Amino acid sequence: MRLILNDVKKNFSEKEVLKGINFSFEKGKIYGLLGRNGAGKTTLFNCISEDIKADSGKITVEENGKERGVNSADIGYVLSTPVVPEFLTAGEFLKFFLDINKPEKSNPQEMEKYFDLMKIAPEDRNKLMKDYSHGMKNKMQMLVNFIADPAILLLDEPLTSFDVVVADEMKQLLKSLKEEHIIIFSTHILELALDLCDEIVILNNGVLEGIEKEHLDNEELKDKIISALRGDEDA
Amino acid sequence: MLKTFKHSFRLANAYKVNTVIFSLKSLPIIKRLLPDSLYSSSGLKKFAVVISAVWQFIMIFLGKAIYIGLMVYLPASQMKDPGRAFLNILFFLTLAGGITNNGMFDPSRDKYYAMFIMRLDARDYTVSNYVYYILKTFVGFVGMVLLFGALCGANLLYCAVIPFTVCAVKPIFTCLSLLYDSRHITHLKHEGFPYSAVTAVDAVFIAGAYVPVLLGAAIPGLAVLIATVLLLAASAFAFSYIVNFKNYRTIQLFVLNPQNLAMNKSVETQRTQSMFQNKIGTDVNITSRKSGYKYFNEIFMKRHSKILTKSAKKITAVLLAVFVVLIGANYFIPDASVSINGFILNNLSVLLIIMYFINRGRTMTQAMFVNCDHSMLAYRFYRQPAAILNLFIQRLKYIIIVNLMPACVIAAGIPLLLFLSGGTENGALYPLIFFTIIAMSLFFSVHTMVLYYLLQPYNENMEMKNAAYAIVNTITYFICYYVMDKKIPIVIFGICVCVFSLVYVCVSFTIAYRLAPKTFKLRH
Repeated sequence: MRLILNDVKKNFSEKEVLKGINFSFEKGKIYGLLGRNGAGKTTLFNCISEDIKADSGKITVEENGKERGVNSADIGYVLSTPVVPEFLTAGEFLKFFLDINKPEKSNPQEMEKYFDLMKIAPEDRNKLMKDYSHGMKNKMQMLVNFIADPAILLLDEPLTSFDVVVADEMKQLLKSLKEEHIIIFSTHILELALDLCDEIVILNNGVLEGIEKEHLDNEELKDKIISALRGDEDA
Repeated sequence: MLKTFKHSFRLANAYKVNTVIFSLKSLPIIKRLLPDSLYSSSGLKKFAVVISAVWQFIMIFLGKAIYIGLMVYLPASQMKDPGRAFLNILFFLTLAGGITNNGMFDPSRDKYYAMFIMRLDARDYTVSNYVYYILKTFVGFVGMVLLFGALCGANLLYCAVIPFTVCAVKPIFTCLSLLYDSRHITHLKHEGFPYSAVTAVDAVFIAGAYVPVLLGAAIPGLAVLIATVLLLAASAFAFSYIVNFKNYRTIQLFVLNPQNLAMNKSVETQRTQSMFQNKIGTDVNITSRKSGYKYFNEIFMKRHSKILTKSAKKITAVLLAVFVVLIGANYFIPDASVSINGFILNNLSVLLIIMYFINRGRTMTQAMFVNCDHSMLAYRFYRQPAAILNLFIQRLKYIIIVNLMPACVIAAGIPLLLFLSGGTENGALYPLIFFTIIAMSLFFSVHTMVLYYLLQPYNENMEMKNAAYAIVNTITYFICYYVMDKKIPIVIFGICVCVFSLVYVCVSFTIAYRLAPKTFKLRH
């Protein structure tokens, strides 16, 4: 399976944010999306998830040799600021989500399994989410996105709110999920991208380009990425 | 100091001008015609500066006109000697206003930008703007005092003294307030005078304004003149203290602290958010036997019963009590039944605004957005047309029920009261009144929900970003207000309301059902 972006453009008034994105993402890989502040990473995610409409271009999915449009079941999108319905407990939210999306799994045993997967402690499951920390909300947001099991996962700065232990757990979880998914992961932290991602893609001047790792060691790769982000010609 | 004032004036103006452009750009249709480059268009800026200057000039007089018209002219003109009453009320209100309406530390965003972002000198800034404020006040008062004084037949010579009184009193109280602050300034605080003391002194002055004229007495013009001369002398000292005061920056830092005052939208937003979050019931044992969206909606409503069901029940109880009192009055107070009967038969239109106010829809949609939709709309499954419509129906049912609680009491109470107070020859009026009230309740329920779903007015930061929403709401209010004192015969009013509500409910429901899947989304 592949996610194909073909000449995707997006302007805000006169500002050209995406100037024609051409790229193909493949299943089984984690892509690290790097870009400077304001480069348009979130805009790109919003266009892929159809939260905002691209001005022109095509976003398609290629499956078994056939190309088709993206539908809502294909995409999971974890926002950088986690948003959860704060008037519900985590348990209630999970039940509601399962009722709607996976009715066959809407039972207490399955729910326990999901909470265990995310390492959400039993005493926290029956708490209102308005009392959750940023990191806990983020866990819940990720959980429901994992449950929906979309083929494409867009993660906007997902690990920054976690403490080091949870961040490591999440990294392992993402690695375990990647075989069956296309995971695109935006971040400002270069080390994290190098550590977790199979491919690095850079969004600069409204254009997306992959960085060839060639046979570079980590330091050389870092230099290459930074000069690409600066927009140096020879990168 | 003059230079600082020029800078601050230009800054305040730039801020106002950009606000004008920003507001224009949030209007539908017009926003498409205006490019972003507008903010840097110098021709348009000049035009906006002129508009803003004209507006400020109008405001100098308009505010005073409303104040003097309502607070002074209106009561004075009812008295036996309007001229003397006018002077008395005006003089004492001026003293009261000197304390409460001081101008120096009124927080606003442009002040914050000027002193803490642009680093203009706090003393120069505060003092020069204060002088400007006093001058504006003086000019505004001269015009309006003479105008309304002449209308009241007051002695214009004494009236002409009042603007000086205003400009003398304000610096004196400002100076006293600064003196107080400088004694209490150890902890970066600006408290001004203790609230209770200010209220007590104000109460005395306000009583001084109205009580004597009610008793037929008034302060002599000469006394006003002498008092003003003395106040002017005192204000000269006060002014020199104000000019030489050193600690403005410390006080302004406190007054303009974003944590203390709603300096920017995000703080306001945080407040709204935390206000609504605090309304969430904390009982985690609340459950629902339903599933899916019905489950979701039921828990939402149960956790928000404090502001929805419980408050509707309270309103219902109060209405019941009012009806019991009215029924009692009908029997025990002579002539009451005649007035009640006449009022119901002639003033039923007043119910429209009552129904407007008891409608819980607005609070409910706000809570829905802040505590629920704001986060849930980020999820794709929640934005699917089927999901939006499903929840729309659930919510609409609920809001109709909540609003029907008090509506039923009114709908049953008024025909009953009409019957008990002597009744009417036309028996059809009883059911007509009943259905009219029920129709109004349905109308408001549907109206708020449809507006919310069609014009979803908030953005991700929970700021109101839809001028159309505000406009429709204002129009709704004004129609209710306008109809209030129109004496419309019950038959016409009732039939119009019922037919209109029926048509409106059907049409708007159909439109919402068609369009909500497209319009109900987070604004970017």
